[in-house]
Amino acid sequence: MAAITVYNPQANTVEYSVPPAARKPALDGATIGLYWNMKAGGDAALDRTEHLLRERYPDVRFRRYTGSVGFLMRHCTAEDADRMAAEVQAVVGTTND
Amino acid sequence: MIELERRGIPTVIFTAETFVHDAHRSAASFGLPGLPLAVVPKPFTNQRPEDIHRMVTAAFDQVIAGLTRPVQAPRRAAPAAAGDGRLRYEGTDVLEAWDRMNQDFLARGWGDGFPLVPATDRAVEAMLRGTRREPGEVIATLEPGFGLATVEKLAVNAAMAGCRPEHLPFLIAAVRALAAPKMYIRNKAMSTGPHAPLLLVNGPRARAAGFHAGMCALGPGAPAAANTALGRAVRLTMMNVGHTTVGISDMDTIGSPLKYSLCCAENEAGSPWEPYHVTQGFPGEASTVTVHFVYGICELHDFKSTAPEGLVEVFATAATNVAQVGTGLWLIGRRADPRYKTEEKEHNTLFLCPEHAQIFARAGWDRARLQAALYGAARLPFRTLMLNKEVQAHHAAHPELRWLADHPELPLPIVETPECYDIAVVGGAAGRGAYFYGAGEPVTVVVED
Repeated sequence: MAAITVYNPQANTVEYSVPPAARKPALDGATIGLYWNMKAGGDAALDRTEHLLRERYPDVRFRRYTGSVGFLMRHCTAEDADRMAAEVQAVVGTTND
Repeated sequence: MIELERRGIPTVIFTAETFVHDAHRSAASFGLPGLPLAVVPKPFTNQRPEDIHRMVTAAFDQVIAGLTRPVQAPRRAAPAAAGDGRLRYEGTDVLEAWDRMNQDFLARGWGDGFPLVPATDRAVEAMLRGTRREPGEVIATLEPGFGLATVEKLAVNAAMAGCRPEHLPFLIAAVRALAAPKMYIRNKAMSTGPHAPLLLVNGPRARAAGFHAGMCALGPGAPAAANTALGRAVRLTMMNVGHTTVGISDMDTIGSPLKYSLCCAENEAGSPWEPYHVTQGFPGEASTVTVHFVYGICELHDFKSTAPEGLVEVFATAATNVAQVGTGLWLIGRRADPRYKTEEKEHNTLFLCPEHAQIFARAGWDRARLQAALYGAARLPFRTLMLNKEVQAHHAAHPELRWLADHPELPLPIVETPECYDIAVVGGAAGRGAYFYGAGEPVTVVVED
């Protein structure tokens, strides 16, 4: 019988923690942000999302967003996030499509 | 989206099934495991609007749930059993034990597919003698997984890759380059594109450490063994320290053999010009590692031309490949990491063979003149450059250039400025170079003890 003992190559990680936002049970009267990262098709997805949300909550309003930096995918800066947080009560995004 | 949650705004993200692991891992890395997703069967890209509408309709209940139900954060799982402990493998003989180690490492996602050199106490202690740094020193926090790149972990991965102790300082320098904010490695490591780190080493230490600059510099073969080992060590480090894991945090659609190892030295002795690192502001006596992520490689073959103009015309045909993502990408913006407010122009790297470099030098051309000539020659019509780009992204990035829509046949440069062509002299004696389609800008770092 023979054996080899080797190092574990995997690094420990830095852990971050962000508390999720509190949710309300319904979206009536809310202004909802629709965030498109400008990857193809995301705009069509948000068009459909807006249509379905209007059907479910007739009094919701919408604002469209994209990131102010980037290229194939446009990214949201801290300033973008501040602006969105000041203008809407919820956001639907196409960023992992 | 996590930045919005941090600001008290509920969010939900459409996510294709194939990206669900990626989305969960990313959300956990950034501190919010359980970030709500609305999962759709396919990515929206390349889909007809009616098919996208159908997918969104089917996922709509998830949108409502994501915005209205409390987020249930799953218990955070450490990525793939990270740790400082040792692992023991037994067999009827050492070869069988080694085989079991390799099978286990592959099963855990810790290998690149080739057999790994066992990082035993003796191997790691020897590797650590290649640097004056303490084993516990943290060189960087490496994304996308925010892994702590200690000297010891780098030594372990270097040993596994087959590096010699004198290569460890080059790996340390490469990791500093990978972790530079301007590198935006998160974007490149996790992308659906085949981003491969191209390493170019320069300076006297590179020669002393055996890095190869001549014939078949990118390998394979014995002359390029050091190159192969360092390139492989960088990939293993990305996987085991940066936690770039295929199917979870590396979403490469096709993959690329360039991602296993892509490293060489500049042929400074065969170059008529100053070494590459001097063009980046480093003294000639410095030794450096330059990392440039690249998508692919194209040969620069020309046995016929004896004047610079002919070579430039041939090289420009490689540059004007609109199927390559970086070609004309400046028209829709710049690669940018909003956390660090960095922006990168898209660069391409050319490895000129000494034969071609001498043709330019004999005619009195320096690098800058070649860069300017390529910038002038490598052009495509606006319409062609925009074939695979979103018009709205063009409008967002360059509202001042909307007039281009009225001039679709106007030839435009494929990169933003002449400096977006990085030129090094590499290889043996024949008229064959290499063109690397780059992703963002190269980063050069000095090699230190």
